[in-house]
Amino acid sequence: MAPISIPRKPLKLIDRVSAINWNKLEDDKDLEVWDRLTGNFWLPEKVPVSNDIPSWQAMSEEEHTLTMRVFTGLTLLDTIQGTVGAVSLIPDALTPHEEAVYTNIAFMESVHAKSYSSIFSTLCSSEQIDAAFAWSEENEYLQKKAQIVLDYYEGDSPLKRKVASTLLESFLFYSGFYLPMYFSSHAKLTNTADVIRLIIRDEAVHGYYIGYKYQKGLELVGGEKREELREYTYDLLNELYDNEVEYTESLYDGVGLTEDVEKFLRYNGNKALMNLGYPALFPAEICDVNPAIIASLSPNADENHDFFSGSGSSYVMGKAEETDDEDWDF
Amino acid sequence: MPTTYDPSTDYHALNAMLNLYDEHHRIQFGKDKEAERAYVATEIEPNTRHFATTAERLAYLIDNQYYEARVFEQYTPEFLDTFYARAAASGYEFETFLGAFKFFRSYALKSFDGKQYLEDFPQRCAAVALALAAGDETAAVSYLDEMIAGRFQPATPTFLNLGKAQRGEAVSCFLVRIEDNMESISRGINAALQLSKRGGGVALLLSNLRELGAPIKHIENQSSGVVPVMKLLEDSFSYANQLGARQGAGAVYLSAHHPDIMRFLDTKRENADEKIRIKSLALGVVVPDITFELAKQKAQMALFSPYDVERVYGKPFADISISEKYDEMVADDRIRKTYIDARKFFTTLAELQFESGYPYIVFEDTVNRANPIDGRVTMSNLCSEILQVQEPSAYNEDLTYAHVGRDISCNLGSLNIAKAMDGGLAGTVETAIRALTSVAEQTSINAVPSIRRANEEGHAIGLGQMNLHGFLAREGIQYGSDEALDFTDMYFMTVAYHAYRASHDLAVSRGRAFVGFERSAYAKPAGQGNYFDKYTDGRRSLDPRTARVRELFAKYGVAIPTVDDWAALRDAILTDGLYNQNLQAVPPTGSISYINHSTSSIHPIVSKIEIRKEGKIGRMYYPAPYMTNENLEYFKDAYEIGWKAIVDTYAEATQHVDQGLSLTLFFPDTATTRDVNKAQIYAWRKGIKTLYYIRIRQQALEGTEVQGCVSCML
Repeated sequence: MAPISIPRKPLKLIDRVSAINWNKLEDDKDLEVWDRLTGNFWLPEKVPVSNDIPSWQAMSEEEHTLTMRVFTGLTLLDTIQGTVGAVSLIPDALTPHEEAVYTNIAFMESVHAKSYSSIFSTLCSSEQIDAAFAWSEENEYLQKKAQIVLDYYEGDSPLKRKVASTLLESFLFYSGFYLPMYFSSHAKLTNTADVIRLIIRDEAVHGYYIGYKYQKGLELVGGEKREELREYTYDLLNELYDNEVEYTESLYDGVGLTEDVEKFLRYNGNKALMNLGYPALFPAEICDVNPAIIASLSPNADENHDFFSGSGSSYVMGKAEETDDEDWDF
Repeated sequence: MPTTYDPSTDYHALNAMLNLYDEHHRIQFGKDKEAERAYVATEIEPNTRHFATTAERLAYLIDNQYYEARVFEQYTPEFLDTFYARAAASGYEFETFLGAFKFFRSYALKSFDGKQYLEDFPQRCAAVALALAAGDETAAVSYLDEMIAGRFQPATPTFLNLGKAQRGEAVSCFLVRIEDNMESISRGINAALQLSKRGGGVALLLSNLRELGAPIKHIENQSSGVVPVMKLLEDSFSYANQLGARQGAGAVYLSAHHPDIMRFLDTKRENADEKIRIKSLALGVVVPDITFELAKQKAQMALFSPYDVERVYGKPFADISISEKYDEMVADDRIRKTYIDARKFFTTLAELQFESGYPYIVFEDTVNRANPIDGRVTMSNLCSEILQVQEPSAYNEDLTYAHVGRDISCNLGSLNIAKAMDGGLAGTVETAIRALTSVAEQTSINAVPSIRRANEEGHAIGLGQMNLHGFLAREGIQYGSDEALDFTDMYFMTVAYHAYRASHDLAVSRGRAFVGFERSAYAKPAGQGNYFDKYTDGRRSLDPRTARVRELFAKYGVAIPTVDDWAALRDAILTDGLYNQNLQAVPPTGSISYINHSTSSIHPIVSKIEIRKEGKIGRMYYPAPYMTNENLEYFKDAYEIGWKAIVDTYAEATQHVDQGLSLTLFFPDTATTRDVNKAQIYAWRKGIKTLYYIRIRQQALEGTEVQGCVSCML
């Protein structure tokens, strides 16, 4: 298996090498997001996906195939984002801290890609896994969306790369995320859904941050260029949306969920635009997603669970702080 | 898989709308009730098997091995007819979608192919009541009435299993000691397997096991320490499950001064090696007072080799009070010691709690000071509310018992504080004590003889409480306020009084007290260390501190016991004894509080609309009881209320509870390990006995939250 892409020229980080100084921030957002991302660090081994085996075995052949395909599609996108996307943003960074955040994003995307494999290996046979990967290489819509995004990553515009990246993080993933959220709201594969919710928790921050940096970047360009980028963004979203609708049909028609997934796509398309600082494209009336899905998306660590069930998607890395004498004054 | 989704009957979607505001920014409580009705109408009704008469129904269920014939044969057909008519006449409806969904998914009797429902809620209550009453018609009616009215709710294992022919045990919870030998470890693993199969959680004590590198047969550096035993236990728990109903769950406890303590904690690290990583086993640490003193002095804390300690003192490590013997053991060269920084230990504890919620903490010396029973408490259970004495067992080479010691089983049930107050309280407490005792009397855990022995001798039970926050909010009182603390104090004292009264009545009617009563603090002469001295020697007032609480008790017609009442009860107990070795324990009440529509335990709510995830039911939304769009101010959540008010509330209750209370601490993710340590120090100083989970809430980064979502708002 060949790597997706290798940089064509050596990365040139900055003109002079200067050590990153986290005590001198140019943009407070960098530290805020860094803290959030590192606090959110997780590995798929945390979640007892094997508890889903009984649930998986009770599902139909059709549901199995759909799940595998959806996850293979997500694996492909995370692979792109981890090895090409987030990395390609590094040279465009405006501050050294922004670079550091991208390296974290890139790493977590690779963790996400690996999570799907970890779900596969827990639930499915090698034969099923191979079939799903073969499908992902042959599905024209999936390949096309990968190609569209890759093209922009390899293009020469830093801001366009951010647009592509934000659309990937905030929009393209969601046709896949729909399924585990749908299943879990119907009491199926709930631990798998925990893994996906951890991924969503990360992607929500990634999309938000890259979109934020895009808006920062926009402040530095002239009005005409700005208009061009705005048009470009809507064009790209439309292009991706059309392809995504076809992709969705190829996946979900068999189970009759296409219409609801499309609403969900539009909902997230608007969200991606919001992250980029643009008004919504789709009117709210055609974005009325099944409330069970919307409510289950909440990236907050506020759900309650018991020890008979699973670890949930809620714990974070703690900040250690030593106690002092006054705390022990008793 | 459904092919389309119709928002008007998709009960999952209706239920999810609870978590989304309407256009006027109001919580859509009505949608949840619609979800409940849609669920009952479209899923339950059409799939319920109906019968013409009670006799026909019972005959069918008994003949087809759904119900246990023995239970129903104790009653006449005429009685059963009127009994089931009484249950049906209640017209019971679930108050929330989650309550209904959880009941029908997890508790109701279903046909073996899983396609038909064979019970509704009143019928489940009826079967449980008939089993508990064991042929006593009056008792059966009182159990039924308490359960259907929602005043008393037995714990899951009891409520789920009784009356059914294919079932697990009715007991919730088991605690087993492990001693420092291979036979005892094998028996521990056997207990984990056997007890998980029968239902309920199992906790095991690891403090006595020799540490990593300790000698085996005098050869140095041989032992692998506690971690491999934890691995074995974890695998045992995931293997055994109750007919797939739920996976076994277990906890292990270790002394803070055990040399493996850091390795024990590190098993919960996010980046722990797969070989040592513990995913589903719960951890608890037993912390004596001396650890706090050492941390205060900024000193190193000694970790003592349990192998050496047992050889020097001739008894297992856990049976030594470390606080008492600390200096002596430090000075004794025969005991190998390693040192860690005491404050660093507490920081590590808190770090792990951030990452995983574990470990639980048992404040060993507080627990033993408050323990009325002769013997030593060395551990707690999966929910950290059971605190009872044990006695080690000894085994022969073939794993038979050379000496059957005493281990713990505890059957639990909780009162809904709001409904119990509505009903006058005294009668409900008495009925609940009798119901729980009946479970103890009908239980005989043959798989673990040490548990069977202690249950036969002690009939220990754990009466719990739930819906404190719901009650306070209904009455317009803020959780954690002075009035709330006053109420908690008075309520728990009144419950304790009636619980002891009921247990004394049982001792009279059964003609015997629990074994060891004469060595307990209940049997000491008045004024000379008698357990009830705290109520009778004038050290505290037994009256409410606030006018509001006085009014509340008057309004519901609940009498608060006076000094004279307590003195009379104490004297009666000195004469006749108590039937139950232990009476109260306040569990976290997960599932049953949803069915009962209560707030959990005596905690504050975690969110106005709680998101509940469980293996069997998926992700659901649950509204706090008595909450409307008008009284939201009384429904502040645990993170807003903060740990101090929670500890204060538990401290009020703790003084009246002979065992423990599951106490979860809640922090925002801006908290540091120092904040967690401060809360632990405060809890220890307030006389709290145990700490359960630490929960951290992380709010979505501004700009990434889901719009219009109730649980996302502060």
